[in-house]
Amino acid sequence: MKSRHLLHMILTAGLLGLSLGAAAYDADWKRGRIYYRSVCTACHAAQAGGSIAPSTMTMAQWESYLKADKHAAGKDSLKKYVGKEYRASIRTQNKAADKFADVPDAELFEDVKAFVIKGAKDGDAPASCS
Amino acid sequence: MKTNRSNRRALSWRALSWRALSWRAALLAAAVAGAAFQGGVVLAATKASTADHAKFKELQQGFASGPEVTRACLICHTEAAKQVHKTKHWTWEFLNPENGQKLGKKNVINNFCISIPSNYPFCTSCHVGYGWKDANFDFTAEENVDCLVCHDTTGSYRKLPGLAGHPPYQDTEIPPGSGKFAKAVDLTKVAQKVGKTSRDTCGACHFFGGGGDGVKHGDMDSSLAAPDKALDVHMDATGLDFTCGTCHRTASHDVPGSRYTPVARDTEGAHIPGRQDDSLPATCPACHGQVPHKGGGHAAKLNDHVDVVACQTCHIPQIARGGVATKMSWDWSTAGQMGPDGKPMLKKDEAGRVIYDSKKGDFVLGENVVPEYRWFNGEVTYTLLGDRVDQGEGVTRINRLGGSASDGRSLIWPMKVFVGVQPYDPVNHTLVTPHTAGNDDTAYWKNFGWEKAIKTGMQVSGAPFSGQVDFVRTEMSWPITHMVAPKEDAVRCGECHMKGGRLEKVGGVYIPGRDANPLIDLVGWLMAGGALLGALVHGGLRIVRRNG
Repeated sequence: MKSRHLLHMILTAGLLGLSLGAAAYDADWKRGRIYYRSVCTACHAAQAGGSIAPSTMTMAQWESYLKADKHAAGKDSLKKYVGKEYRASIRTQNKAADKFADVPDAELFEDVKAFVIKGAKDGDAPASCS
Repeated sequence: MKTNRSNRRALSWRALSWRALSWRAALLAAAVAGAAFQGGVVLAATKASTADHAKFKELQQGFASGPEVTRACLICHTEAAKQVHKTKHWTWEFLNPENGQKLGKKNVINNFCISIPSNYPFCTSCHVGYGWKDANFDFTAEENVDCLVCHDTTGSYRKLPGLAGHPPYQDTEIPPGSGKFAKAVDLTKVAQKVGKTSRDTCGACHFFGGGGDGVKHGDMDSSLAAPDKALDVHMDATGLDFTCGTCHRTASHDVPGSRYTPVARDTEGAHIPGRQDDSLPATCPACHGQVPHKGGGHAAKLNDHVDVVACQTCHIPQIARGGVATKMSWDWSTAGQMGPDGKPMLKKDEAGRVIYDSKKGDFVLGENVVPEYRWFNGEVTYTLLGDRVDQGEGVTRINRLGGSASDGRSLIWPMKVFVGVQPYDPVNHTLVTPHTAGNDDTAYWKNFGWEKAIKTGMQVSGAPFSGQVDFVRTEMSWPITHMVAPKEDAVRCGECHMKGGRLEKVGGVYIPGRDANPLIDLVGWLMAGGALLGALVHGGLRIVRRNG
């Protein structure tokens, strides 16, 4: 019982630390822009029949979409495509994936999020695909 | 017993202490680990700056206006405004030392939006200052310098046409009546996040010269904000990632690289950091030297061209390659036509790009445009207000570029040649400065009357106007220097060394392949063939005679 209590407290402290760290992270929208355009847009344009401009959705819609973490109508995780494993798998053909190969997953995800929120239909600077 | 009990207690306390310590250590470790997972991110994301402006008390306040922010900036950056005051970005004036012409955006006339006077509140949305709404602007006020427009890193700072260089301090409908709103800029957020200039900050004006994305230059548009290697090898966002400042290396806020006195031929070698003269002109040889192609054979042959051909001629095969069209011509004479409903209208091409605007007339747009080529020695002479213009003399050159094959200072340069049809005074034979933008009775974009618009504009310019208006064909040349392609995509030899090739119209130089003369070629081939035939006959006879 005590050990379970201890485990819970450790987990709580860990999450607290995680959230504090997350709050402190200052997302780099320009890095997010490069990844979004070079990886997300490039693949969507080539394989998914068209790209998705940040300005096609509102900030709230992007927040909701990113939080849901569903890619390809829920077939897999959105975060997977920002993860190191995915970047490693395409880095030989994709310069952005190669350049950002070692960026922590959470950081790059926040970068991309910062770019699409900024470029949303009601964002600070609505952005097209290119 | 006591001893045993106290021992047990001591043991128990020790055990408790250890347990408590281990708990605490574990909790601390977990918290630190959690934070470190993200904290590492924070460290990794930290830029090279030694200052976090968010920690400065001067910037931890609400700001009601841009000048308020500037006053806070100047508390530490005491000399910054004085430096800016000396630059072309501030004065919009430039005295050409070679010909004495008074230039700068404040004085020149072009064939895009034509001129600044009487349109100040709109044009000065690209001035590095606040409040230039008329000719009485105070150029000496330090708080009128706009620090944020160049040093914003958030991408949220913007200045809107009509606000005389101010950003929107509240949500603003633009254009009025459109139902589209630009958000108020959070000045505190922007001020706390200032940093180095970037392609985005320079591009906020220079990508949009001429009134829209890519309109003016052809080699500068918003596609250069985060380009790939194919678009620009130097600015490639996943490669070298040059900012504008990498080449336009700025000192005391003065940015080198002039449109009025450009360096057409840099004869010096590569500039090495550390040498006494630490200048770095924004030219290709400043980094690549005078022998830019490495190796023998083909590379050596290419190096033979550097005293005749600008690097840009081969390495910028087309302009407007990033998906943004550039304007190639603008006909003001067709402006003023209304739609079926009697209101101003727009016409668009199949790609959805505006090719007619009642306010501006007809446009021709181009993507992947092959430049024109001309000799250029860096001399630029403008047709200014008051200079004689005559419709009967053909095309009026807004800027005349000096250069020839024989002056020893020229190279063959790529140019965007922009063609215009713009209003002029047929009685005084001068170009005119119409009052286009504004909500008043004389603004052309409000009332579509040239006479009233030009009368107002010429009054502000202090120039005579006869009251009559006609239109004159004009031409403006823009030397091309951005959008440098990878070497694999450079212009091939055969694209110039051929009849009808890229350099077909460039005179004063013999270009093998282009300038071949059939008669001389025939004589040459006959001589070569004769020599070969002679050698064969001679050799054959010797073989025959030896055998005999």
